[in-house]
Amino acid sequence: MKISYDWLKEFIDLTITPRQLAEYLNQIGLMVESVEEIEGDTIYDIETYANRPDTLGHLGVAREIAALLGIPLKIQNWPLTEIDQPTSDFIDIQVMDSHLCPRYCGLVVKGVKVGPSPDWLKKRIEAVGLRSINNVVDISNYVCFALGQPIHTFDLNKIRGSRIIVRKAFKDETIRTLEGSLIKLESEMLVIADESRPVAIAGIIGGEDSGITEETRDIFIESANFDPVSIRLTAKKLGLSTEASYRFERNVDINSAPQAAIMAASLLNRFGGRAARGLLDIYPNQKKSRTVTLRLQRIAELLGVEIPADFVVRTLNGLGLKLKEQKENVWIAEIPSFRVDLEREADLIEEVARFYGYDRIPSEVTPVKHFELPSDFKKEKIWSLKEVLFHHGFNEVINFSFADPEKESLWQTGHQAIHLQNPISSRASILRTSLLPGLVENTVWNFNREAEGVHIFETGKIYFWDEEESPREILNLGILTSGIWPSPAWNEPGKETDFFILKGVVEDLIIYLGLDSLSFEPGDHPFFEPGQALKILLKNDLIGYLGRLKSDIIGAYELEKPAFGAEIYLEELLEKQPKPFVFKPIPKFPRVSRDLSFLVEEGLSYQELWKQLQKLNVPNLESFVVYDRFKGESLPPGKISFSVRFFFRHQSRTLQTEEVDQLMQDIISQLKTFVKIQLR
Amino acid sequence: MSILENKIREYRHLFEEHSSKIKEKREVEELRQLFFGRKKGLLTLLFEELKTLPPEEKKAAGRALNEFKEEIQQQLVQLELKAKTVRPQEKIAEDLTLPGWKPYWGAPHPLTLFQLAIEKIFVSMGFTVEDGPEIETDYYNFEALNFPPHHPARDSWDTLYINDKLLLRTHTSPVQIRVMEKKKPPIRIIIPGKVFRRETADPTHLPMFYQVEGLVVDRGITFAHLKGTLEYFIKALFGEKIKLRFRPSFFPFTEPSAEVDIECIVCHGQDPACRVCGGSGWKEILGAGMVDPQVFKNVNIDPEKYSGWAFGLGIDRTAMFAYQIPEIRYFYENDLRFLRQFNRK
Repeated sequence: MKISYDWLKEFIDLTITPRQLAEYLNQIGLMVESVEEIEGDTIYDIETYANRPDTLGHLGVAREIAALLGIPLKIQNWPLTEIDQPTSDFIDIQVMDSHLCPRYCGLVVKGVKVGPSPDWLKKRIEAVGLRSINNVVDISNYVCFALGQPIHTFDLNKIRGSRIIVRKAFKDETIRTLEGSLIKLESEMLVIADESRPVAIAGIIGGEDSGITEETRDIFIESANFDPVSIRLTAKKLGLSTEASYRFERNVDINSAPQAAIMAASLLNRFGGRAARGLLDIYPNQKKSRTVTLRLQRIAELLGVEIPADFVVRTLNGLGLKLKEQKENVWIAEIPSFRVDLEREADLIEEVARFYGYDRIPSEVTPVKHFELPSDFKKEKIWSLKEVLFHHGFNEVINFSFADPEKESLWQTGHQAIHLQNPISSRASILRTSLLPGLVENTVWNFNREAEGVHIFETGKIYFWDEEESPREILNLGILTSGIWPSPAWNEPGKETDFFILKGVVEDLIIYLGLDSLSFEPGDHPFFEPGQALKILLKNDLIGYLGRLKSDIIGAYELEKPAFGAEIYLEELLEKQPKPFVFKPIPKFPRVSRDLSFLVEEGLSYQELWKQLQKLNVPNLESFVVYDRFKGESLPPGKISFSVRFFFRHQSRTLQTEEVDQLMQDIISQLKTFVKIQLR
Repeated sequence: MSILENKIREYRHLFEEHSSKIKEKREVEELRQLFFGRKKGLLTLLFEELKTLPPEEKKAAGRALNEFKEEIQQQLVQLELKAKTVRPQEKIAEDLTLPGWKPYWGAPHPLTLFQLAIEKIFVSMGFTVEDGPEIETDYYNFEALNFPPHHPARDSWDTLYINDKLLLRTHTSPVQIRVMEKKKPPIRIIIPGKVFRRETADPTHLPMFYQVEGLVVDRGITFAHLKGTLEYFIKALFGEKIKLRFRPSFFPFTEPSAEVDIECIVCHGQDPACRVCGGSGWKEILGAGMVDPQVFKNVNIDPEKYSGWAFGLGIDRTAMFAYQIPEIRYFYENDLRFLRQFNRK
């Protein structure tokens, strides 16, 4: 809202400089967003709030400044030159819906000479950022920006049947607006109609063929009050927002209607107009003024500072409230009709605080009476997992939760996507059902921008409808690696990334969480090339997949390089509780190691071998590592060779060579039964 | 001279020959073994030999041998001390200024870093971190927070709807309601998270961004507490010298409401054309206020007994300001040339 320093002076005697004024406006919350100097005037663009329609006119802003400075508002006088004929001779007003139009004032001004506005009026109109059109239109805008009350002027002679009917639109009625567009009205919309057709969409915009033209002589001034919700719904539905609708939506002071009509008529007098006698004022259900109880003690309780009673009374009186002391330091405040926002004690306390100055309220530490343990350690766990990923060389990304339904369909995520009702674009009209599409997009973006390798991850939610048609959002972890893996040495080139770089980080994530019983199983999944993917399992629970992304899918994103991806159901993973950590004593006696290489059937996987090794029942066998897997022509067909190193240790003495030889024999014979090994 | 004495002389030469070449501790040990080895040590053997001598020779030879033993033992101790300081044989490399061995580390996303910094400050003041759903109902996102249906106050929270009942939360404030429904005061929480608005992209707006919300509810909580805590928070984040101001504002869910501006860290109000503050010298950083009594009523907390304060801050915009990032879209483009600048481990 633009406010002119000069214009404010019509309402208050300003002795402060324009610069000081800006500071005062900021102090009371009418935040000055910019200041402009135009032709000796200073124009402030101030921030106004949805609950303060009174600040949408210079009068309201002047009232705030007057209250702050403790000065009175100037009394404005709007004398009328009248003809000796009552208004009702020229127009008949009928309000059919007093809920949607609680008050309607009308006045007729005859013999106006329509023409360009004089300089003083032009200056005011341009100060608030509008374009001067003619004296009549400018006057209605002038009144609106002075009082915050929108008014509308009609060419009296174009109102058919000399009748104004405020009613809901008929089905399929249309109106051509002042802006020239033809609008189809709906039956819940309120219109101003004459005998045969709508002449304005109530509180929003006037009709073209009842508007003011150069030929207009006689004018009907409408100054009314409309239901905010009805105006908002209609304006939204029609996609219209005008100075009038903006104010009516915010609930205009019901008592400003008569004053605005008279002010407009008085101004039209200056252009030859003469008003008919008597303002028509249809106001069937008079609104009673509200009262609110205010306790001085409550002010201190809420603000944390004792504010003197006389300051409270002076400030609120200055703002137009009438305070009656009920008992000591408790008042009944009568709220003026222009302050639609003041309904509760807290609202009045805010007024006191605003004018007292937020900077004068002390700063104190919020007392704490007890500390609460976090309900779980999910956040901490997620951060730990991120640290594992950073350590492994993966960069964190954050993508939008929106997705393109067409591209997402390539992935066959198996989730029923949630569609947005009013998306920003069709390419962002669903919520993502997987993190991998976003990671692929990031990969392509970076390959197109000098990157040689892209190694990234994201933790974030995916969204879908579950079987019961309820929306679900679950936290996932997506990881992707593609291209060159950088070398730690400055003089060695990087190497192509591979599946095991990805698998390594997945394994480490689980270890870091302190969970055992991780296993992998071959598992086909629509994201991955057949036979090149694994299911990630914790005991029997599936917690994700990893594999080589299907070239068909990533090809659609123009990703030509191989890419390896994983998606892990993080939420489920975080639910798993690790065994409490307890340290193991450091051994006192040396360990002994022995290597064993043997042949097994080619189909035996590392993981299966590992499982069998874990079943070994051999005393003093402390641990083992598989350190080689070999397949070659030197071996019998259909066989592969594994090499395992076994570590033995006795808790209370050094093991003898002969003992260890015997233990190795036990191992060999057990492995012969478990997996039919042949020694090499 | 006896054979034994001859051998002693011979061995002394041998010892000197060996000891002159010694560089490492390991070699001292080898030399010790050569002379004192349990079975084949030269001296061990000499002492064996001594036993076989006739008694008249034994005495003198024994003394000579013992003297020689002590002499060698002393020298071995000296040699050991010298050998302890290992001297490099060759230079590590011709050019020691060559780069070191550096494994590739991943970079955290700047929003994660910034969110973490904020969380740490509040956790140090006894706050716990809460979260809640991103898909919300109109009730939690608006009505319970005192936004009447069809009120223009909703205009600042342009909403992406899923259907007539469900929407994407436009702020983290619905989690306030969810927590207050479940928990009795005292409440002392912060809620970081993703929020969504139906906004067209521009340098400072995107349809998705991060917010952090704070809420304190207890008996006797005042506006002075709000000021003190937020002042500490901003100073912890931007440094003790940062100037800030509280000014009145409007939010449906707080009364009184405030906005907090901080001094422009780019121009300090000196540049009338400053890209960051527009020349005002101030940058709006967060909204706050005392919890509106209607919000308390909506969650069955008696506003006569309890009071509270709340605040909300845009993480993206604050991070933009702190790191002087000109456009919000950088956060979501995920360009590695941007992200890897935050690899400051």
